[in-house]
Order: sequence, then structure tokens, then C-alpha cells
Amino acid sequence: MIIQDNLLLNRAEPDGLGGVQFLYKVKGYGVTAISKPQEELSHIHWEVDVIKYVTEIPLKYEVCHTTDLAKKTLKFYSDKALNEFLDKAFKYFEELGLLENMLPDNDRP
Amino acid sequence: MSNLDFVAEGKPADWVPLGETQTVVDPMEMFFKLPRKTEFITGSEAARESIRRMNVDVAIAYPITPQSETMQQAGYLYDEGYIKDFYRGEEEIGVMSACSGASRAGVRTLTATSGPGLMRGMEAISSWPGARVPIVLMDMCRVINTPLAIQPDNIEMSFMLNTGMLLLHAEDQQDFYDYPLVAAIVSEKVDVTLPCAVSVDGFFVTHARGQVSMTPKEYKLPPRDGWASAVPAMDNENPPARLSRDAPIQKSNFISYHMHSSWQQEVFAAVERSAKYFDKYLGGLIEIINPDAEEFLVASGAAVSQSREAVRQEGEAGRKVGMIKIKSIRPWPMRELVAALKNAKRIMVPEFNQAGWLHKELCSTLYGRTTGTMIGGPRVYGGMTMPTEMILEWLADARKKQL
Repeated sequence: MIIQDNLLLNRAEPDGLGGVQFLYKVKGYGVTAISKPQEELSHIHWEVDVIKYVTEIPLKYEVCHTTDLAKKTLKFYSDKALNEFLDKAFKYFEELGLLENMLPDNDRP
Repeated sequence: MSNLDFVAEGKPADWVPLGETQTVVDPMEMFFKLPRKTEFITGSEAARESIRRMNVDVAIAYPITPQSETMQQAGYLYDEGYIKDFYRGEEEIGVMSACSGASRAGVRTLTATSGPGLMRGMEAISSWPGARVPIVLMDMCRVINTPLAIQPDNIEMSFMLNTGMLLLHAEDQQDFYDYPLVAAIVSEKVDVTLPCAVSVDGFFVTHARGQVSMTPKEYKLPPRDGWASAVPAMDNENPPARLSRDAPIQKSNFISYHMHSSWQQEVFAAVERSAKYFDKYLGGLIEIINPDAEEFLVASGAAVSQSREAVRQEGEAGRKVGMIKIKSIRPWPMRELVAALKNAKRIMVPEFNQAGWLHKELCSTLYGRTTGTMIGGPRVYGGMTMPTEMILEWLADARKKQL
């Protein structure tokens, strides 16, 4: 089962391609995980990006390829691999959030 | 089949079909009381799990994209002993005719097809309601017209609207697990005895994964009682078997128009009678979000998922938009729709087909019963996608033009 902790929203894939999008959030950062249909079922995969939230309501985020977690869009071919990445990402975001809070107000991203 | 037959098929001498190890439960217990576990699976896999619990006697199909995955999975279920008999027909007319024969013999019969396959089988399919055969047809929608395409488009559903078939439209993988089970039970009710198609938008659902909450596989629906039906099963052991219950109805190739018209009236009355069962087992023929809104999106199938997100985003912007998901196309939820939309000022119908059959159905229902404006669209077809933004833009445009 896909990790449900820190899940902000689970919705139909917004481009209308079918499939689903899971949006996770921890301290201003998060992960978008999209699973779309594939002609070959064995090719179904997770397309994953680290994101930074702009606002929660309305829901707005930007793809963030500047963290040590991921410099590009990642692909995972199993739920297990996705869950492992999410576990790692949640811990990373917690730490990142703490570090960012230590910065002077003007320097916070 | 005896154990010798199983051994001949390569099973060990002590092999027991897994279907025989399942416990039969009342449909209400299956649908509402048994514990459920959620898995992240494709629509085809959800269909397989539905079939596993359906207590199917015979499944017959001919492969066609995007249905093939599901019936391949059904083949595995046959191998495991969850389906008692299974074979690949020679093509769809043969398949749908064979299904008719199997169902007339009183057994629970399942088939599945897609787009052009449905079209090819339509002659036989359109004879099912009159024959009162409660077959379950899983219909994975795809483009039917030239140029050839295998992408999603649900125009094929419109061809079944006036056949006397029962017709459900699944939104997602969860529905494609739940609806076929409900279809099997409702279609076999004595005062219904009609075939039921469960359509789903191919690829977007069948070849994508979603969360599906399922009951344990150790439980299955009660078997079909072939004698408890509007037209009792044929007794093939004692020929001559009659196609009709009452001998004077069909004599050679002659039938009086009186007889035929009353037979048709009874078929369509049975469609209406099925509504109370679908209402009970599906938790209503429609689902309503924001019932007091003045603007409504009315959709079925995959268009519902996109509409849900549009409603959520409109809510974020401080605008309350309502949504109606139509679960059952036949029986058509006329009373429910009239009641739900009586105060609507704007009604928009997003669809995955060019003709806008759902919009036309809704217009027929609401003509003279609403002062709201009906908007047919947005529509996508031929495999096009329907991004949430498209629905939001149509809504904004309608407001701007004060439609």
C-alpha cells in the first residue's frame, strides 16, 4: 500500500490522462507522485518530483530540482521503491524545515 | 467436472478448484458488511478481483484491446478454479451468441469486449434483453470509428441505450470492482432478468492504477438460480427445449405484433423495476456533491474524476459548483436528476465522446422541468484527454457570456 502519511491530496491525474496523483506535504516542501496508464501494464510507473508549495489554498506548488533528494524527475517501477523514497524525503524535509527556520527572516526561501 | 477431467487438464489428483473453497455470502453482506482491504491496482486487475468473487459459471470472450488484459486475467481465474468454464470464442458474434445459449441454460455468464468488438457483437447483444438472459458484459470503451484507434472514447455506450440492456458506467478502478458484482445480482432478480453492461473508459481506468477497497477473496456471491427468472432456464436434458416460456409466443418464424409489442413493453418495464435494486446496492443511482449549488457539472465515467477536481478547485476560489455523478445510465435516474437539478441555473455536461449522448439524455429529461441553461460540453474524443483546466475554462466562459 502506498504511504498515506503527510498525504495532502489524492486526485485524478490533472492533465486528464487517466491515473492518479498523490501530493504529499512536509514543512513547505513535498512530493508529487503520478501514475498514468501505459499500454503495457508492466510499464506502469511512478513519475515523482520534489515540490515546494507556494500556497496550500488555493493549492499551488513549483517543481523543485535543487534539493539533494532529486535534481530531476524520478521514475519508480514499484510501490516499494516509492515508499522508500517517501520515507527518506519526509525525514529530509523535516530537517530542511528546521534548518530554514534557523535562518534570519529575510534569508528564508 | 470430475477430478478425472481436472487431471486430464494437468491438475494433481487431489486438486480442488479454489472457487469451491470460497464461502457464499448474502449480497448485502458482500457489498456493505465484510471487512475490506485497499490495494493499488489497475482497472483490469480490479475487474479480475470482481470476477473472482462473482461465482461465475462460464466466461466466454474474444480478445480486443483494451479488454484483453481483463480476460487474460479471467483465464488465470479459470486455471485456479474460480470460474467453472472458460473459452475464447471465434469472434464477437459467436461469443455473444454463445453467451446467450449459456445463460438460457441457467448459469451465470460473463463476457467482456471493447469498441469494435461490441459493434460486431451488437446483433446478438441486442437480442439478449428480449431473450431475458441475465448476462454480465464488461465493456472497456475505445474508439469505434475510422481511422483506427485504440484510445478511450465512450460513443459505443450510446448504441446500447435503447436495447433494453441495463447499463452502468464506472468512474474508476473501485467502481469497476464493485459494479460488476452488483450487475450480476440485479440482472438475475426475478422481476428483472435482463443483461447488464458495465462500461468503463478504457486505458484511463483499465490500464492505470488506482486504490481499490476489496472484500476477502475467500467470499463469493450466491450462485445463480436458473429457475428463479422471468423466463425459466431451458432444460437441455429434455428436448425439445423452448426458447420462449409460453408456446404460442413464438411459432416458427412468426410472432404477432401484439405479442411482440407487449414483450418489448415488459422488457422496458423490467429495466425500470431494476432501479430499486441498483438504488439499494449502489447507494443511489446518482451521487451529488454540493446539492445547493446553482451551477452543476453532470457526468458519468472518467469525466466524473476530472469534474471532481474542477469542483475542488472552484471551491478553493470561493465558488460553489455542484456535481452529479450518474452511476446508472439504464435504468435512467430521471426522478433523481429532476429533483437534484430543479434549482440549477447552469448545467454543464463534460463527456468523452463527440455526439454528446449524455447531454442529449439529460436534455430530454429536463425539457420543461428546468429554467437552467444546458451546456453540452466540454467534449473530448478519439483518445483526447480532458484536463481539469478545460472544464474550468468552459465554466469561466459560460459565466462571462452569461449563458
